[in-house]
Amino acid sequence: MPLWSLQGLRRGVVTTRYPARPDPAAAAPPTPPAFRPEALTRDLADRLVAVCPSWALTRSNDTLIFDVGACTACGRCRAEAPGAVTASGEFELATTDRAQLVKRIPLLGRNVTANYHGKSA
Amino acid sequence: MTGQVAPGPGVQATADELRRTVARLFGRSLHIRTLDTGSCAACEQEIRLLAAPHYDLHRLGFFFTPAPRHADLLMATGPMIRAFDNAARKTYQAMPGPKLVVATGACALGGVYQPDAFTHGGVGEVLPVDVWIPGCPPSPLALLQGLLVAVGRLAEKVRDLDFIQERE
Repeated sequence: MPLWSLQGLRRGVVTTRYPARPDPAAAAPPTPPAFRPEALTRDLADRLVAVCPSWALTRSNDTLIFDVGACTACGRCRAEAPGAVTASGEFELATTDRAQLVKRIPLLGRNVTANYHGKSA
Repeated sequence: MTGQVAPGPGVQATADELRRTVARLFGRSLHIRTLDTGSCAACEQEIRLLAAPHYDLHRLGFFFTPAPRHADLLMATGPMIRAFDNAARKTYQAMPGPKLVVATGACALGGVYQPDAFTHGGVGEVLPVDVWIPGCPPSPLALLQGLLVAVGRLAEKVRDLDFIQERE
């Protein structure tokens, strides 16, 4: 009888369920981006929206709306603005609620906030 | 079957009860039928890898079945092309209840393809989706997490993620 069978019989555990320890290889494939709000301006956000090939990004005033479900982790936004966008490393993204996958990123970059006269500074 | 129905009063309690029933019934044995609704087959590649020794899906009580009549869970990939409407509905109707639908991959979740004359642009337009698994394609571990979320054996994680990088 193989050793692991004996161990399984003794401990009552044949296999683990979900990986008991983090799997270092799991985050190696491309993952959706994470954003730095301080580095994001309206102009930059519009550029990111324009390069996204899968309609995962839209901008609504001073918010970048990121649909994680639509993201293909292609990395084009990361190539467009390496200082503002990085890989999140997240892959356990399954959810029972589609709305949970839509994330709102505030745009806190310098030329974002409109002044009292409604003009961009 | 088409479209999402807004939950009324009392529906939440029924949904919770159904969720418990599903967890009890499917916790140890669940048969999966995959449904390709026009995908590029990258999702199928990753789904196939679930049965390979590294992930070994069968140890968790999940099995693939070729017949929808034997399936508890429909794993739908692709953007749901319109030519496939009839087949998708028939597949869903052939499954015995209670049944789950898992939308797999960015196409199935409404990315990549916008609705047009050829595609609905998402599985949710035609089938009632229970679990959404993002990724292009989702890695086998991401699929595994999605399946365990579907049967209530693993908690969701994405709710608490904001995809904002903290400043160092």
